[in-house]
Amino acid sequence: MPETIEIQLKKGVLTLCVLALLNRHDSYAYEIASILSGAIDMGEGTIYPLMRRMQSDGQVETYMVESTSGPSRKYYRLTDGGRAALKAQTAEWRAFARAVESVLDGAVPAAAPAVKNADKGAEL
Amino acid sequence: MTRADFMGRLRRGLVGMPTAAAADIASDYETHFEDGAAAGRSEAEVAAALGDPDRLARELRAEAGAQRWHQEKNPSAAAAAVFAVLGLGAIDLLILLPIFMSVVGVLFGFFMAAIGLFIGGGVVMIGGPLAGFPGGVMTAILGGLGLMAGATALGALTAVATILLVNATVWYARLHYRLLKPALEPQAQVQGGLT
Repeated sequence: MPETIEIQLKKGVLTLCVLALLNRHDSYAYEIASILSGAIDMGEGTIYPLMRRMQSDGQVETYMVESTSGPSRKYYRLTDGGRAALKAQTAEWRAFARAVESVLDGAVPAAAPAVKNADKGAEL
Repeated sequence: MTRADFMGRLRRGLVGMPTAAAADIASDYETHFEDGAAAGRSEAEVAAALGDPDRLARELRAEAGAQRWHQEKNPSAAAAAVFAVLGLGAIDLLILLPIFMSVVGVLFGFFMAAIGLFIGGGVVMIGGPLAGFPGGVMTAILGGLGLMAGATALGALTAVATILLVNATVWYARLHYRLLKPALEPQAQVQGGLT
């Protein structure tokens, strides 16, 4: 079931991708959804439950920006908690990816503890 | 699916949530349709890319329920959070419901015992001196106070256990929903993606 693994992986790293995007610049939901649905094939609608969860977890906060045309727009920015989460999850992802790479390349499976760690991080 | 269909199904799915929160969510999706239109996409395209409104509504309700439980620890928030996460279908009801119900039953029993003990303690304290309690007036008053203190402690411990149980349920459901649900409904996810 390759599709299943692919979808699980994507769903797991979605939070990390959103954190990384917002670390570059503040953004609004439609923009985030457009970038992520193009880069990793996800339903655009999932961005709203995700943003709400990240907001209640204290990783992002919102502010309104007046628009010259139409109603004001809701922007998201990282909180200190969000930056900390980005740092931690990036490290976990890199360790996980390295471990998988080394297994795929047939190297010694010395990175087993790192995989366990990254796995735990993805659940948070 | 048109924008009106999508919004109608989403709004129906959000019935029962606080009105302000539901309106806030609905306006997020309305904005998404407007942004999509501004980018030259049709309503049907945007609706398809957003995914299944019923599923989104369930996920949003569960998130709101968990958040409310996080903020206010009261019985109605607990019930709302538990029912919302049960609605996700992440918890296997057939397997877990009997266990869950017996744990809830035991907690309920403890609460009732605490209330009974408290009332009993009150009766001993007030009625004991008048009815000639064996051991004298002071024994009756102190014994009654002791029973009431014990009942309060039992009630407090039961409340703590209940809070932990609800926390565990919400945590378990959110975790498993996020990890398992995409695998169970890969088709919806794949179709939902913008290509």
